[in-house]
Amino acid sequence: MTAIDYLQFVLAPQVVNGLALGVAVVLVALGLTIIFGMLDVINMSHGEFYAIGAYAALALAAAGVGFWFLLVLVPVLMIPLGMAAERLLIRPVFGSKDRHVTTLLVTFGLGLIVEDVLKIIFGANTQRPPTPIPGASEMFGIILPNYRLFLILVGAAIVLGVAYVVYRTRLGAMVRAAAFDRNMAASLGVPVSLVYAGTFAFGVGLAGLAGVLLAPIYSVFPTMGRDFILLAFTVVIVGGMGSIWGAVVAGLLLTQVQALASLVISPVWTDPIVFGTMVAFLVFRPQGLFGRLGHA
Amino acid sequence: MHDRLTQSMRASHLLALLFVLASLGLAAIGAVTGDTFYLRLGTEALIFAGLALSVDLLLGYSGALSLGQALYFGIGAYVSALTLMKVPSFWLAMAAAFAASLLAAIIGGLIANRVRGVYFALITFGLAQVFAKVVYNTRELGASDGMIGIPVIEIGFGPFSVSAGSPVGFFLVVLSIIMGLYALTAYLLDTPFGRVLTALKANEKRVPFLGYSVWRARMAAYVLAGLIAGLSGALYPMLRGFVSPELMFFATSGNAVISVILGGVGTLIGAIYGSVLLVILKSIIGSWTEHHLIVIGALFMVCVMFLPKGLIGFVRPRIEALLMRRPQAGPALAEPARLTPAALKSGSAS
Amino acid sequence: MTSAIIKTLIGGLLAATALSGGAFAQSGPIKIGVVTPLSGTYTPIGQQVRWGLELAAKEINAAGGVAGRQVALVFEDEEANPAVAVQKAEKLFQVEKVDFLTGTVNSGSTLAVAQLAERNNKLAATTVSFADSITGDKCSPNMFRVNARAEQQSVALAAWLAKEKPKAKVYYLGPDYEMGRSTVAAFKSSAEKTGSATGGEVFAPLDSKDYTQYFGQIRATRPQVLYTSVAGNDTVRLLTQLQDFGLLSGLTVVGASGTVTSQNITAIGAAAEGFATGVGYSPQIDRPENKKFVEAFRAANKADPDLYGADSYGLLFAYKAAVEKAGSTETDKVREALRGLTWQTPQGAKTIRAGDHQAMQPMYVVRVTKGKFDIIDNVAAENAIGPDACTRF
Repeated sequence: MTAIDYLQFVLAPQVVNGLALGVAVVLVALGLTIIFGMLDVINMSHGEFYAIGAYAALALAAAGVGFWFLLVLVPVLMIPLGMAAERLLIRPVFGSKDRHVTTLLVTFGLGLIVEDVLKIIFGANTQRPPTPIPGASEMFGIILPNYRLFLILVGAAIVLGVAYVVYRTRLGAMVRAAAFDRNMAASLGVPVSLVYAGTFAFGVGLAGLAGVLLAPIYSVFPTMGRDFILLAFTVVIVGGMGSIWGAVVAGLLLTQVQALASLVISPVWTDPIVFGTMVAFLVFRPQGLFGRLGHA
Repeated sequence: MHDRLTQSMRASHLLALLFVLASLGLAAIGAVTGDTFYLRLGTEALIFAGLALSVDLLLGYSGALSLGQALYFGIGAYVSALTLMKVPSFWLAMAAAFAASLLAAIIGGLIANRVRGVYFALITFGLAQVFAKVVYNTRELGASDGMIGIPVIEIGFGPFSVSAGSPVGFFLVVLSIIMGLYALTAYLLDTPFGRVLTALKANEKRVPFLGYSVWRARMAAYVLAGLIAGLSGALYPMLRGFVSPELMFFATSGNAVISVILGGVGTLIGAIYGSVLLVILKSIIGSWTEHHLIVIGALFMVCVMFLPKGLIGFVRPRIEALLMRRPQAGPALAEPARLTPAALKSGSAS
Repeated sequence: MTSAIIKTLIGGLLAATALSGGAFAQSGPIKIGVVTPLSGTYTPIGQQVRWGLELAAKEINAAGGVAGRQVALVFEDEEANPAVAVQKAEKLFQVEKVDFLTGTVNSGSTLAVAQLAERNNKLAATTVSFADSITGDKCSPNMFRVNARAEQQSVALAAWLAKEKPKAKVYYLGPDYEMGRSTVAAFKSSAEKTGSATGGEVFAPLDSKDYTQYFGQIRATRPQVLYTSVAGNDTVRLLTQLQDFGLLSGLTVVGASGTVTSQNITAIGAAAEGFATGVGYSPQIDRPENKKFVEAFRAANKADPDLYGADSYGLLFAYKAAVEKAGSTETDKVREALRGLTWQTPQGAKTIRAGDHQAMQPMYVVRVTKGKFDIIDNVAAENAIGPDACTRF
C-alpha cells in the first residue's frame, strides 16, 4: 500500500468516520452526564432508555409517523417516563446516605427489567428502520453517507441547544444552582424537587433522542442498551461530570483514539485503551477535563 | 462487652449455625437418597456464596460497591484449573489460587482504592470487563470456549480423602471452606481492624483523627475480599470440570451483588443466604418462564428501596431481641442505638 | 437412635418413589432434554432450535412415537453461558432423567455439556455449534453433531467461489474471538487451495458498533471478495454500513453460515442481496420432504425454518432411528446405533461418521436474492466432510 493510498483510504476516512461515531457517543453521553453531574446519580438504565427511544421510533414509524416528526415526538414522550422514574425510583432513596450506590443499584435493576420487557413486546430479533436520508457523498475520495453527515450536523445543533439551555437561560441557572448547593438554591426560591425531576426527565429525553437518531445506523435489538454504556461512562468521567463541553471533547477525542488505536495496534485493544484512559483520569484528574457542572 | 454491634454479630452467628445445621441436614438427606443434582447445585450455590461474601465485605463494611468482583473469582477458577490439569492436587490448586488472587487483588486494590463511591464501582466494573475480554481472546486459556478436561480430584485430609466427584463429600468440603471463610471474616471484623472499617463507613473524615490509616484499612478489606473471591472461584473447576470466561463477566459480578442485596447488606451471613435464595429463585422461575430477569430485577429493586437489610434485616432483629432477653446482655440496652450499622447507614451525611 | 429411624424412614420412602419412577420410565415417554438459550443474545437461535424439535416431536408422537413410546421434550434456558448450561444439563440428566440431550448453541456450552454427558454416561448432540474442535481435537464419545461444521461449510463455499470468481482477491473480516478466527482460518485455507489470493484480514471486537473504521483498509486493498464470519447484530451493522458507504457495488460478500440467517435478514434488508454462504440447509431445497417440512414449520410457527430449525428437526429422527435399531435407550447401545447411522432429513440423507461423530451431508451454496436464499451450487457429502481429526475413540 502506498503512502498516498494509506492517507486517502485509511487515515483520512478513519478520522472522518471517527467523527460520526464520536457524535453518536456524545449524544448518548449527554443525558448521562447531565443526570450524573446534576443529581449525582449514576443512571445504569441510561442505555435502556436509549433502547426505549429506538424502539419507540421503530413502532411509531411503523404506524406511519414520519422521521422528522419522530425527532420531536419521541423525546417528548420520554419526558413523562423520565419524570415517573425519578418520582418512583430515585426520589424515595435520594435521601439515604449511600445515595450513589443505592441509586446505581435501583437503576441497574430497572435496566434488567426494561431489557426483558422490550424483548417481550418487540421480540428478540434485530430490527432496523430504513435510512431516512439515503445516498453517500464523496469528497477528496472520502466517502461519507449523507445520513452520517446529517448526524454530525444535528448532533452539533443538539449540543449547542443543550449548552445554551444549561449555561445561558434562567432555567439552566436554576439547575446549576441546585447542583451546586441544594439548600442554598431552595432558600433562593428554586423549586428544587421539580428541577431534579425535570433534569432527570431531560436526560432521559436526550437518551430517547439518541435512540431515534442512531437506530438507522446501529439497528435495534433488546440488549442494545449495553452497547454504549462503558464508553459513555468513560466520556462522562474524562469530560467531567455534568460538563457538556467536557462530554463533547472527551467523546470526540476518545473515539479518535479508538479509531487510530484499532488501526495502529489492533482492534482488540480499543477497549483496554478506553478503560485505561478512564482509570488514568479517575486517579490523576478525578474532576475530569472540564470539572463539574455548577462547580466550574 | 456486649454492645449492639456485637449483639447483631451474635445474631448473625446464630443464623450461620442454623445455616450449617440445615446444610448438614440436607446433606444427610441427599446422601441417604443418593441424590446428585441437588447436592451439586447446593455446592455451586455455596461457591457463589463465597463470591457474594466478598462483595458484602466490601459493600457492607467499607461501603465500596464492587461491580467486578467476578474478576478475582475468575482468576481463582482459572489458576486452579490450570494447576489441576498439571498436578491434580487440591491443596496445590488452592495455594496457587491464593497466591494469584492475592497478587491480583493487591494490583487491583492499588488502582481501585485511589477513588471511592460510584467511581470505585465504575473502576471495578471496567477492570473486570477488560480482564475478561483479554481472557476471552487468549488462545492459551481456551479463549471464548474456556477449558474443559479438568480431572475429578481426590482431596486428601491427612489419612482421609474425599473425591470431588462425590456429591455429598465435596458438598461438605465446600461447606466447611465457605463457612470457614465466613468465620474468618466475621472474626476479623470483630477485631480493631473491623471496627475501623465500620467507622470508616460511618464517617471517613474522623477516622484519621483516631490514628488509623484510611487507605490501609480499605486496602486490607479489598485484598481480603479478593482472596475470598479467589478461593471460592478455585473450587468451581473442581465441581464442574471446566472454566469459561463467562465466570468473569458482569453477569457473575451482578449476581453476587443481587445475592448480597437480597440477603442483606453488611450482615455477611445475609450474602450466603442470599446466594442460596437466588439459586433457588432462578431454578424455580427458570422452569416457569424465560423472563427471569423481570422477576429478579423487580425483587432486587424492592429490596434496595424498601428492605435495605434484605432478608436478614427481617429475621435478625427478632433473634437479637431473643438474645437481649438473656440477663448478661443487659448493659447493651444502655448503649446508644445509633451505633448499629443500620443507624449509621441511614444517618445524615457529613 | 431417633435420627437413625428417620433416616431409614426417609430412605425407604425415597427408595419406593425411585422404584416406581424407574418402572414408569420404561413404559412412560422418552424424555429429551433441551438446554438452549431462551434469553440473551442468542435467543433467536434458541427459538429455532425449540421450534424444530417441537415440530419433530409432534410428528413422531402422532406417528406412534419412538419404539411405541411418546417423546417428551424438557426445556431449560442456558443463557448462552457454559456455567448455566452445565448446571441445567445436570438437572435434566439427574432430576428429569432425560435419555438424551441437545440444544446448546455456543461452542463453549457444547464442549462443557459434552464433558458432563461423559461423566453422567449419557448422550448429547448439538444441532448448532459449528466449531471444528467439537468433533475434532476436543471430540467426545458421548457427543454427536448433526449440523455441518465450519470446514464442511468453507469447502463448499470455496469450491463455488473458485468457479464464480477464479483467482479472486479476498479480504477477511472476522469477529475477534476463537470462533471467528477459526472460521476465517478454515475458509482461508480452503480458498487458497482453490486459487484465491488473500488481500488482508482484520478482526473486529465482538459486538462492534461501527465497522466503518475498517472500510479504509478494505477499500485500499481493492478486493473482489469480502469474507466475513460475524453474526447476529454484528452482521446487520457491517452490511448496512457497507451499503451506506456504497462499498457493496462490485464486491462479492461471502461468509459463514451463521452470518446472515432468518433472524437478521429482515433487518439487513437490501444490503444482504448477493451474500453467499455454504450451508447444510436452505428452505429452497427442492425435495418433497423439505417442502412438507417447510409448510408444517410455517403453519406451526409463522416463520420459515433456517438451518438451526431444520437440523434440530432432523436430529430427533436420527435419535428415533437409533433407539429403534438398538431396541433400547441405553447409552452404549444407542451410541453404537448412532455411529454410522444413515437417516432421512428434509435436506436429504445424512450419515454420522463413526470416527468422529460428525454428520456427513450434502452441502449447498446459497445466495440471497430478493431477500430469500437461493441455492446456486452444491457439493456432495463425501467431498465436503474433510479428514477425521478425532483421536479419542
